[in-house]
Amino acid sequence: MTHYDDFRAFLDALDGAGRLVRISEPVDAEPDLAAAATAAARLGDREPALYFTSVNGFTDARVALNAHGSWANHAIALGMEPDTPVREQVAELTRRWDDFPVAPTHREGAPFLQNTLEGSDVDLFRVLPLFRVNEGDGGFFLDKAAVISRDPDHWDDTDRQNVGIYRLQVKGTDKLGLQPGTIHDVAQHLRHSEERGEDLPIAIAVGNDPAVTIAASTPMAYDQSEYEMAGALRGAPVPLAKGPLTGLDVPWGAEVLLEGAVLGRRREFEGPFGEFTGHYSGGRAMAVIRVDRISYRTDPVFEHLHLGRPWTEIDYLMGPSTCVPLFKQLREDFPEVVAVNAMYTHGLVAIVSVRPRQGGFARAVGLRAMTTRHGLGYCKIVIVVDEDVDPFDLPQVMWALSTKVNPDEDMVHLSNMSILPLDPSSSPVGISGKVVIDATAPVEPDRRGRHGHPVRDHPETQRWLRVLRARIKER
Amino acid sequence: MTCPRCGDSTCAVIASSPVPGVWDVGLCPVCHYTWRSSEPPRQSDPGAFAEEFRLTAEDVGAAVELPPVPPRRADRG
Repeated sequence: MTHYDDFRAFLDALDGAGRLVRISEPVDAEPDLAAAATAAARLGDREPALYFTSVNGFTDARVALNAHGSWANHAIALGMEPDTPVREQVAELTRRWDDFPVAPTHREGAPFLQNTLEGSDVDLFRVLPLFRVNEGDGGFFLDKAAVISRDPDHWDDTDRQNVGIYRLQVKGTDKLGLQPGTIHDVAQHLRHSEERGEDLPIAIAVGNDPAVTIAASTPMAYDQSEYEMAGALRGAPVPLAKGPLTGLDVPWGAEVLLEGAVLGRRREFEGPFGEFTGHYSGGRAMAVIRVDRISYRTDPVFEHLHLGRPWTEIDYLMGPSTCVPLFKQLREDFPEVVAVNAMYTHGLVAIVSVRPRQGGFARAVGLRAMTTRHGLGYCKIVIVVDEDVDPFDLPQVMWALSTKVNPDEDMVHLSNMSILPLDPSSSPVGISGKVVIDATAPVEPDRRGRHGHPVRDHPETQRWLRVLRARIKER
Repeated sequence: MTCPRCGDSTCAVIASSPVPGVWDVGLCPVCHYTWRSSEPPRQSDPGAFAEEFRLTAEDVGAAVELPPVPPRRADRG
């Protein structure tokens, strides 16, 4: 299975597959970089990664946007064929998930040791070509970096070492704002360090192996290691290095490594930021990071995430890896669950296909989705469909909604459920109604409706599908 | 230097373009807004800043903590 030990190898693979557009003519940092990425996202699901090498005012900026931002790019990131359909990508991710944990390896000679800024020389602007993504953002953010921290109560427990992607607002040459959402593992680490009255050591790796980025975006349990998951997803151990200042385990191939501390018991105004919900978050008082050391490869590439009104890169990055844990957790209780599509706004809407065991079964599965770990903050609308409806094929889902649902009886509405605070329709913030829409045909002893005679595909259709696909490929 | 977002007049330049004279980056000490002088006026000009994103020092002071600072273990008795 193809895998990449650093971001540059991934960029080369994208380039080799014709999935990277190089833009060498001069552009303005604002609004050109983000506007170009927005335009790429509007090209449909074949959009390319963008690589800018001439940004006005900079002498040697290298900015990569949209690296994960299409199904083809997502497939390449995980060593699959670029034309792998999304449903098959999710199925393959589900298979690889079973290989967890794959222990990382420690490797010497990390390229980021080539250059160092310390003490008063620390200057984020000297190393990174920072820029604004959305017009109302409170500043320039790092939004695709792997943020690494440990539980200060269990410092030597690497299973509790967390790798996550959290937004970081640049607030000075050596200062960042950090958004630790209460459901995030880094918030646990910060709480423990603040209870102890200490700062929390932190490392921030910019520009990484694409499987590390996917694992860092995956909702995992507190004591599960993202590095061990990245190893499973890419089919090989992830190479790690020690952060020279913090001793934290960091991706060996990182382009830039920032190290420092989250300042204990301090909050400061942060935001707003155009979030993955397609809406700006409000401004809130958030944690503050002091950067004490910057290590970086010569000629570093700034890997940045573009997010705006969905769909954008973040939806491709988070979508499949959100489906898998939800599917796994549902299957533990209900083997009749066939597939889960939780790709819409990180699973605020989820579609689950099932083989109903008895009347009322589908709504029970929908309710269970809401009580999974991820479902506590998401799964606001869960649509349950029969096994013959592909949850990844929205016209099929719409057919099920159109013909299987009687709104008088097939909606299970719940009030005052928990939801992530960034959901703009939550009221009060963090609280929302939720609904299960049972779009399965009733089965015994539920005898409602007249669903006994759906039209079915001819049994020979599958053979013809293979024939037609082969013919199209020949052309 | 005046903050385009909250109007504070004590902003500082924290970065300048590696190619001299192309742009500077300003930072507001009150609302922590940063902007590049070469950005469109709706991000960089106090007179033309987008109304919907303007802030006051009171807004900044009233922001809720995320996450809240927990009690110290030593204080719990």
